[in-house]
Amino acid sequence: MKRLLGVALGILTAIGGFVDIGDLVTNAVVGSRFGLSLIWVVGVGVVGICLFANMSGRVAAVSGRATFEVIRERLGPRAGLANLGASFFINLMTVTAEIGGIALALQLVTSIHHLLWIPVGAFAVWLVIWRVRFKIMENVAGLLGLCLVVFGVALFLLQPDWGQLAGQAMAPAVPQTESAAVYWFYAIALFGAAMTPYEVFFFSSGAVEEGWKVKDLVQSRINVLAGFPLGGLLSVAIAGCAAVVLLPAGIEVTSLSQIVLPVAEAGGKLALALALIGILAATFGAALETTLSSGYTLAQFFGWSWGKFRRPVRAARFHLSMIICLVVAIGVLATGADPILITEYSVVFSAVALPLTYLPILIVANDPQYMGKHVNSRAVNLAANVYLVIILVASLAAIPLLIITGAGA
Amino acid sequence: MNRPRNTPTSLKSPPSVGGPVLDAQLHLLDRQVIDVDGLPVTTVDDIELEGVEADLPISLGARAPVISALLTGPVLGTRIFGGRPPSSRLIRLPWHDVSAVDVTVRLGVRSESLSASWVERWVRDKIIRRIPGGKHDPD
Amino acid sequence: MILTDVLGSRVLNSEGDLLGRVADARFVLDQPPGQLLAGARLQGLIVSPHSAGSFMGYERNDVTRPWPIAQILKWWHRGSFLVLWEDIEIMGPETVRLREGFTAYHPGLQGAGPGQAPQR
Repeated sequence: MKRLLGVALGILTAIGGFVDIGDLVTNAVVGSRFGLSLIWVVGVGVVGICLFANMSGRVAAVSGRATFEVIRERLGPRAGLANLGASFFINLMTVTAEIGGIALALQLVTSIHHLLWIPVGAFAVWLVIWRVRFKIMENVAGLLGLCLVVFGVALFLLQPDWGQLAGQAMAPAVPQTESAAVYWFYAIALFGAAMTPYEVFFFSSGAVEEGWKVKDLVQSRINVLAGFPLGGLLSVAIAGCAAVVLLPAGIEVTSLSQIVLPVAEAGGKLALALALIGILAATFGAALETTLSSGYTLAQFFGWSWGKFRRPVRAARFHLSMIICLVVAIGVLATGADPILITEYSVVFSAVALPLTYLPILIVANDPQYMGKHVNSRAVNLAANVYLVIILVASLAAIPLLIITGAGA
Repeated sequence: MNRPRNTPTSLKSPPSVGGPVLDAQLHLLDRQVIDVDGLPVTTVDDIELEGVEADLPISLGARAPVISALLTGPVLGTRIFGGRPPSSRLIRLPWHDVSAVDVTVRLGVRSESLSASWVERWVRDKIIRRIPGGKHDPD
Repeated sequence: MILTDVLGSRVLNSEGDLLGRVADARFVLDQPPGQLLAGARLQGLIVSPHSAGSFMGYERNDVTRPWPIAQILKWWHRGSFLVLWEDIEIMGPETVRLREGFTAYHPGLQGAGPGQAPQR
């Protein structure tokens, strides 16, 4: 019974923890411009993140090594440092975006300008990282994030033309109002939002934090294989709401209030309140995960002591680096930079950096020195190779498309 | 650089040895170093050899060099960007403190006693310890 | 001396012909124990005719997955060989010179190496 409860909790937190500011913004933007004609990308991204998280979780559980330790050890200091630079920069960008997201959500709730909420949000993130146990932190954020289910409910309440939505989703085509380059640019953005590298840093380091063993692998696989696809459905619901309400009205998503507009229209104040709680929990949870990830990547590269399961004094540089990251994020946001815009860039750069983390994990997941008999099966390797090609293509195409389309303008 | 054309074509089986074999790149360099309490200390940034001098002729029948210490600290920067720190600035983890090598390098001593952990100790004592709650387990 | 100085050095035979570059250094743990673990003696150097880097050592073990990455890297390091310490005349950051009539050995490692995954 207790075990069943654990599985259920794991799945629920995986669902609630799947969506972050990147998924929210990108899905709403895409829905408002392309309807559901890009929704297939969410499917591709979800299968990819399941595969990737499964591999890195297995490496962590079997060998006790988290992702960036593996990257340093396999790539050596030079290529490893280049990798760290890129991954860390994008991760810091995502930290900034998530904290911006917390502030924007609080602005919607309180009508107090989001610039004032930024230090409050960042301080709260730090306090949780400093004092709250890993398991509690993950469960609370994940469960509250489930409020985002209200986007799915809203989609039903809006009574859309299901045939038309299914048609868009099943037979994807570039809308007449948009160019093919913009279509593919957003395809990559959506892919990057679903498969952000930080999720993997966090997932594998979390496996070490929670002390996973080989026997825990079954449960982790269930969490991933059930939780992430259902979390992906939340993304689809967000895009669906935008497609039903914002697309016909010609509203372009530039703020959080537009993302929640369809929910308010469908379900009134209560639904809106739930959506805001969900967004707050999702961005706060993701802010915790990305801030921790920045500490994880640095500490694992340089071999510092790390982990929330240790007291802060037992992982001093790890905690100091996270404090510095949060201060930098506050500094960037204090310049008045638009969090939504930072988010849009961060998901594209995530797609660019993806091969850097994916390839070393794929290689080590096949290395018997690390994995013993738990190396990748042939089926996993086949799928992993297909995704290696997809990830490489998306990574190489991202920057040219960013330039050609003027960031999807 | 000229392409080598003198590569030997027939290879003999290596002589059998009386102990485990470690290839530096594959099994030592860039691995996580963990102390006797399981606390991460640093990574293996380089390795110091004793019993051979660079560019000096080796006399026939000379004893093989041995690993005297694992190195860390500024040597990482020079491995990435080139150059060489002065010998006095090398931070050494003596090989006689190493207790095991698997996917990590384990030490038989506590990190508290090692010069390799001075930065960690400094950050801990000057900053982290002074923030309230830093000394306690998370709730 | 410092080990990574010698990694990547050019390897010449006694006539001065280029054989390749140092890809790795092999140690054997067979010296009298200092305290906890046997001392590590330099057995020799791995020379690769094609590349100075050593990424996975696919040419030295029997790992064949993930296809095709393992195959490509194995091919990249084709022709690698091991020379023993006894056959090294001089060792430095630029060049390593071998003695006359040196012997080239197969670079293969038995099994996956010393560090089998600890079963936690």
